[in-house]
Amino acid sequence: MAEWNAYYRNEDDEEEQEEGEQSGGDYRATGRDSLVFLVDASKDMFIKGEDGEPSNFDMTMQVVRSVYTSKIISSHRDLVALVFYGTEQSKNPRNSFKHVYVYHDLNEPGAKRVQEVDALRGGKGAKLAAETMGSGETSLGDALWSCANLYSDIKLRLSHKRLMIFTCRDEPHEGDSVRDKQARTKASDLKETGVVIDLMHLMKPGGFDISLFFCDIVSPPEDESELGLQLEPCDKLEDLQKRVRAKEQKKRTIAKLNLCLGEGLNVAVGLYATAVAARKPGAIKLYRETNEPVRSKTRTFHTQTGSLLLPSEIKKAQFYGNKQIVMERDEVDAIKKFDDPGLVLIGFKPMEKLKLHHHIRPALFLYPEEDEVKGSSCLFSALLKKCSERNVFALCRCISRRNYPPRFVALLPQNEELGEGKVQITPPGFHVIYLPYADDMRNLEPPQFPSASHTQVDKMKEIVSKLRFKYRSDAFENPVIQQHFRNLEALALDMVAPEDIEDLIMPKVDQIDQRLGPLLQDFKDLVYPANYNPESKPAAKRKTADAGGGAEKKPKVELTEDELKAHVQNGTLGKLTVPVLKDACKQFGVRTTGTKKQELIDALIARLGS
Amino acid sequence: TARATAVVMCMDVGLSMSNSAPGEESPFELAKKVIQKFVQRQVFSETKVELALVLFGTDSTDNPLSQNGQYQHIRVHRHLMVPDFDLLIEIENQIQPENQQGDWLDALVVCMDLLHTETKGKKYDCLNIALLTDLNTQTNAESSNMNIHNVASQNEWPRGSGQKRPRSPRHRQRSFYGTEEKHGISERDHAKPGCGLPELCMFKRVERRPVAWPCQLTIGSSLSIRIVGYKALTEERLKKMWVTVDAQSNQKDDVKRETVYCLDDDNETEVQKDDTIQGFRYGSDIVPFSKVDQEQMKYKHDGKCFAVLGFTKQSMIRRHQFMGSQILKIFAARDDEHAGVALSALIRALNELQMVAIVRYAYDRRSNPQVGAAFPCIKKDYECLMYVQLPFMEDLRQFTFPSFESKKFTPSDAQLSAVDSLIDSMMLVEEDENGEQRDLFKPHHLPNPAFQRHFQCLHHRAVSPGTPLPPIEPWLKAALDRPEVIKEHSRAPLEELKRKFPLTEVEKKKKLKTSAQIFGKESEESDAKKAKEDETAEEYNLADIAEAPVIVFISLFGCGDPRDLPVCQQLTHRIEQLLSNKNTQYYMKSITCIQAFREQSVKLGNADHYNSYLQSLKRSIPNRGLEVFWELLVQGIIPDSPPQFLVAEEKKEEAAAGPVEDTGDVDDLVSEQFLFLTSCFFFFFFFFLFPLSLVLALNTCLYKLL
Repeated sequence: MAEWNAYYRNEDDEEEQEEGEQSGGDYRATGRDSLVFLVDASKDMFIKGEDGEPSNFDMTMQVVRSVYTSKIISSHRDLVALVFYGTEQSKNPRNSFKHVYVYHDLNEPGAKRVQEVDALRGGKGAKLAAETMGSGETSLGDALWSCANLYSDIKLRLSHKRLMIFTCRDEPHEGDSVRDKQARTKASDLKETGVVIDLMHLMKPGGFDISLFFCDIVSPPEDESELGLQLEPCDKLEDLQKRVRAKEQKKRTIAKLNLCLGEGLNVAVGLYATAVAARKPGAIKLYRETNEPVRSKTRTFHTQTGSLLLPSEIKKAQFYGNKQIVMERDEVDAIKKFDDPGLVLIGFKPMEKLKLHHHIRPALFLYPEEDEVKGSSCLFSALLKKCSERNVFALCRCISRRNYPPRFVALLPQNEELGEGKVQITPPGFHVIYLPYADDMRNLEPPQFPSASHTQVDKMKEIVSKLRFKYRSDAFENPVIQQHFRNLEALALDMVAPEDIEDLIMPKVDQIDQRLGPLLQDFKDLVYPANYNPESKPAAKRKTADAGGGAEKKPKVELTEDELKAHVQNGTLGKLTVPVLKDACKQFGVRTTGTKKQELIDALIARLGS
Repeated sequence: TARATAVVMCMDVGLSMSNSAPGEESPFELAKKVIQKFVQRQVFSETKVELALVLFGTDSTDNPLSQNGQYQHIRVHRHLMVPDFDLLIEIENQIQPENQQGDWLDALVVCMDLLHTETKGKKYDCLNIALLTDLNTQTNAESSNMNIHNVASQNEWPRGSGQKRPRSPRHRQRSFYGTEEKHGISERDHAKPGCGLPELCMFKRVERRPVAWPCQLTIGSSLSIRIVGYKALTEERLKKMWVTVDAQSNQKDDVKRETVYCLDDDNETEVQKDDTIQGFRYGSDIVPFSKVDQEQMKYKHDGKCFAVLGFTKQSMIRRHQFMGSQILKIFAARDDEHAGVALSALIRALNELQMVAIVRYAYDRRSNPQVGAAFPCIKKDYECLMYVQLPFMEDLRQFTFPSFESKKFTPSDAQLSAVDSLIDSMMLVEEDENGEQRDLFKPHHLPNPAFQRHFQCLHHRAVSPGTPLPPIEPWLKAALDRPEVIKEHSRAPLEELKRKFPLTEVEKKKKLKTSAQIFGKESEESDAKKAKEDETAEEYNLADIAEAPVIVFISLFGCGDPRDLPVCQQLTHRIEQLLSNKNTQYYMKSITCIQAFREQSVKLGNADHYNSYLQSLKRSIPNRGLEVFWELLVQGIIPDSPPQFLVAEEKKEEAAAGPVEDTGDVDDLVSEQFLFLTSCFFFFFFFFLFPLSLVLALNTCLYKLL
């Protein structure tokens, strides 16, 4: 029952709970996500592309691997399975299906599985696949049935069930209508039990025609438009990866709320987190002898009697102005409550009123929930359209959870954008930008400097233009997390050393230097005087460091009583340093509780001032 | 280092202060409120402010200057010291209207004297006197003249209200006289009744002293510019945490929390903390990974860094992809003009090209490096770069959402125009006759309502213990709401919108997929094995199973054989599971289960299983340290429902304990900002002025006191 504890939060985990708002949902309420890769292993899949392009099978294995590793990093509790169909060999739990090879049953992906998928990549992989599985007849119906068994064998509650078919054959049964029918029936059975079936169709000579067969197999797209089916087959790894990634994570609402435009005008909306800072997962405590995980139990007890304290025997307190202020536990919650969760429209503002620097946390995404309030989508889309047309944003008061104090947010309209092959690049909806309160803004005193001249600015413009690149938000991997998982991988797989990571956020200094050539020197000549060295510390500081020599102690300055009294009288005690004051306190037997300068001064005045 | 500020509050409690028009608050009441709010703010912000309180118009006289009938009816109520709750309670209970008329100028002199003697030998940033009076008393013009001169010659600059910075003493004097001769305050100071009170009611906003982060901005290997970064904006949290205290003694020392570790076996064998090592999950694997190894193998870098990776169009950086929780402002190093010029060239170049720098930012060696964008920012009086963190690949979730381009959701023209008029009626930014924009609602000018409410409740509890917490203050509620004008304007368009867009709430069965429901459907089977499956499925859902197991049990009992042993085992197993969390909340759930067990057994006239289970449970109590549970059970099993207080929600309470991992950030070393009372006081009186009475603030800044 290790899971129990992993999901039960301790009282002092509030930090984490606050962050829960940012994270993509709550497993506790819903169960696990699952994903089955059903991959065609027929001969067609192994045909290499022109110019040594990887085969469809190879490409699929790369995608599967990347999903495995990303699941390990971002959602290790999701279950993943890998099943081949059209194989010669058979391997499935009851061995009741021929030509279906369950390579991995539904389970959390781990190091071993990643290795096993790796083994199927490249030329060697193709060989291994031919040896272990081979290519044979195809019965998609059996394959689907086998997958259905995978789901039913799982004893955990599954929240989201998805099945992806990777194939380059649009007529898997080559016109065998009995098998076609069988597959259709099995597919509809699966869909009925809540499995979403996607097709990741791959390039084949002459094009992939979905309407021949697969249109009856796959689940209808969410919006009932034709969007899903018009997709072109993938011929590039990158496209396939993107397409799989988009489907692989179940989008889960952080909260379902009402967007209240006015009294009695509530649009149901869901809040989604589209960017959540990935963190290194926390450590687990293991028993030294057996390496088995241990469970932690925290209890609160009375120091004197040693008896466990009930919630009613505990109160909460804070100290201010020399006073302890005590509250009941439920009062502490009640203080935070302003209203029920929801978004309340305050008004609209032109887009330029949204300040770039008004940023306190990552944005969320807002999309209507037609299932909650019918008509929400229509009003939402009208609002989206008009806000976008008029280039305004909606200002709302937002309480995202029970007992959360309100925050103000800007709802930024975003229209749907489709890219090549009608893949959605940006979804339609509002971005929710959290706005700061006055407390969050800091007063700075900016230093004043002369502005640069035109020539100086122009030179910098040349530099900037030379180092121009196209930014993509998914271009940078987090080196800290990558390294962490490489280390774990190495340990889990008994590798000699972890794989090297490439630190993508390290400036490529050599390339930069090369591209800029003499420009940097030109610029430096324009802005810096000849003897200027920006690397050196300001002169004054270094001097003190040299003179002080760091560890060397200054000779002690002892003050006579008269001198000290004079200081007290003239009010010049403040000019003395803290060590001197401390010595003086010692010297005159003045007891001080504090070590702060003012406290020392106060103590001395109290003793000598009168 | 931060030095203290000294403030003498000088309040008129004399006869005329109690006069007021019917239905209006008297100047006395208002002045008292002002002082209370001000002291509150100081207590909660814990700034280095020392306060003294001088009353005049008092019946008694108590001040060091009173001699030969001079300086009468002036009482030094409290000498200069750090404000605390005692002061607040005194103000609440001891300051009452009195019956004399005091000379405000005399009172001022007493205040000066107090400041002078009590600040001697200590360093202060700022000395202030705040005078609260209706100026309804006569004072000797000649003496006032003399006194003011006196003050000026001592390098103390008396200041009238409303001015931010001290100008020349001469100028000050004039403005002071001006005020006095008119026997009133200028028009500006007669603020609309009530308009200033919210400003005053606010607790001081949380202020932090900006901490400089010196570094080098680098482009390639050879160009570096000395810079300094400051956190300009970040989500501020309260500084203090709730501590747990014993309900009876209110002592935190009486409460101890302890974490124990135990193996996941039937006996829950406890293991010592020293016998544990740390491991990490790698998918389904758990990899033992000692701290030493982790430290050795982890990603390491060169530390502090602000290095340009390249430049890109500003439009490539989407607002919604900003990550992190802060904005840094990057300036050239303070004492370095050359760096200033170099940075200015970069800022201006970026601005003209509409581009940003993509940079690697690392606060220090210990903290994780980030990738981020540095935007050019050119203001009237300064230039800087604004840095914001951008996402890593691992942070992004690419969700697709259904298009709205289907017929079902496409709004009609009439619907669109209804939305149009709503937007028209609810524009918060409007232009006035002079073409100047007016913004009706600026959230970044609002104080964080959570802090305001927090302090309001703390104050209430401290001053009036034993009474329930007050409601949220009306001004705060109003400040968070739609402006009145907008409410009015939007009324009709909203009605129209309601007509045009039918919205119907979808009736939903409760979504809770409790076992009850599952069993409700499948109860005919009465399949114990099924129950087991379901249970496994629910393991991780502990939070939800308060009622669930009970319901399961009842439905099973209802349709199956009561002597069906597996079912009983099922239930007792659940009870055991709940008990393995030694926690009252789970105790209560166990008890609910046991009660259900009992009731059902009674109903079915077969209590054997129940009785034997309870016997065995009782026997195991001492071994398992479940005495507390047993006590509860014995109490709870007799009445029908457990005592209400025990069901109370167990919840997180301790305030955030600070970030765990990403240490290092620009203000990790932040200390509290000392308060420049000059500006604070300026604000204070500028906004708050009574309709009838007069407030006079006389701030003296003795910058060169020593």
